[in-house]
Amino acid sequence: MIGPFLAFVLGMVILALAFYILAGSSPKTSKPAVTVNDYAKAREGLELVLFETAAIETICSVEDLNFIARAGNDDVRRLFLKERKRLALLWLRKTQKVVAQLMDLHLRLASYTYDPNPGFELELNAKYGAFVVLSNIVLLVLWVAGPFKGRRSIAYAIRTSGHFCMVFSLRLERLNPTRLGSSRESLVH
Amino acid sequence: MSASLVSWAAIVLEGVILLRGLRNHLIHRYFLFYVYVSFVLLVDIVRLCCYRFAPHFYSSVYWSAELLVIGASYIVVIEIFKQVLKHNPGTARLAENLLLIVFACTLVYAGSDLLGDQSLSLPHAIAELARDLRYIEAALLAVMLSLFVRYRISIGKNLRGLIVGYAFWVGINVMILSMWFLPGHQASVPLRRALPPAYLITLLIWCSALWATRPEPVSPAENEVERDYQILAARTRSMLARVSNGLVKAMRP
Repeated sequence: MIGPFLAFVLGMVILALAFYILAGSSPKTSKPAVTVNDYAKAREGLELVLFETAAIETICSVEDLNFIARAGNDDVRRLFLKERKRLALLWLRKTQKVVAQLMDLHLRLASYTYDPNPGFELELNAKYGAFVVLSNIVLLVLWVAGPFKGRRSIAYAIRTSGHFCMVFSLRLERLNPTRLGSSRESLVH
Repeated sequence: MSASLVSWAAIVLEGVILLRGLRNHLIHRYFLFYVYVSFVLLVDIVRLCCYRFAPHFYSSVYWSAELLVIGASYIVVIEIFKQVLKHNPGTARLAENLLLIVFACTLVYAGSDLLGDQSLSLPHAIAELARDLRYIEAALLAVMLSLFVRYRISIGKNLRGLIVGYAFWVGINVMILSMWFLPGHQASVPLRRALPPAYLITLLIWCSALWATRPEPVSPAENEVERDYQILAARTRSMLARVSNGLVKAMRP
């Protein structure tokens, strides 16, 4: 049936997963269950990203740059570009962090949901994988070219983070917070 | 290491696992797993007797028994699935769908492969079927373990040992089987020698993991907030009952 190479790889994958499960059992690496605090923090993070995503569109708009350029002062223009680049990088790193936290929360919350959709899960995982790769590329573009030259990449990041925010917002709304552990006591052990 | 020494060691370890399971009552918790260990112990004893008293039958007995053992090992997959996901209904449903798809695909593929090759002798056909069954089992296990890792499912210490031992055994088996059926199969000779010690390592992992009973992860329904919520709901219900009683009394002429 399947080729010997594929079977060999399958065996290796199983051994690697077994090792990962064994390594993940230590108190240092094992994650506590989702608490009400995690849920509240996720909601806060989500609202913050939604607010900041709207703000970053204004920050990266060319109108401000044109206004500064008209003034004709190079020092002011340089400072303006430096500040906007710093802000855009900060926003993207923060968005990456919040999306990663929300994804982690989503995966840990799978046990509390009674109606997970395999198609939705597959799509979300694929989109998250693409987001991780592409957002790092966008980060590089921003760092090299700045927010005004990399406007298309910024637009992608804004669109994708907006999509994730919408998905996670729906996910959190469908969740029953009473099924979570309290902040004092973890759900397991 | 001589073959009979390994067989004796395996029989002793399997016996120890069963005895410890009876003593610490883990036999009730992981019933299917202990059924599998008992079955393997029985098969090992039959094989050893055949090896000593009727060696000319050993080859045919070995492959038939191997097929039965691999078939029986599917109950360990069911046991792992049942135990790990009993507090995770969401992931259980997702895993169930995925595992059914993987099982159906690999079964159809293996069946067509086996039926397509008419030139096989019976022992060779049995060996190939055993290999295909092991591959299907490996595919199921890989999907299941990936889901456990991806969805950060918490696993108790006893069950973790059971899973790690089983995954180690299936993983090594699949790697060796993949070499075994290569044309010329020279590469499989040193690997085949690794199979009996690998089985002993598996038994040692199970023995140490299932030596004593460890606490299992607590069910999500038992957490504090849930209890608080239930108390709150009960209080509200009794308050509503009191109010409606009062209303009824007040409305009576």
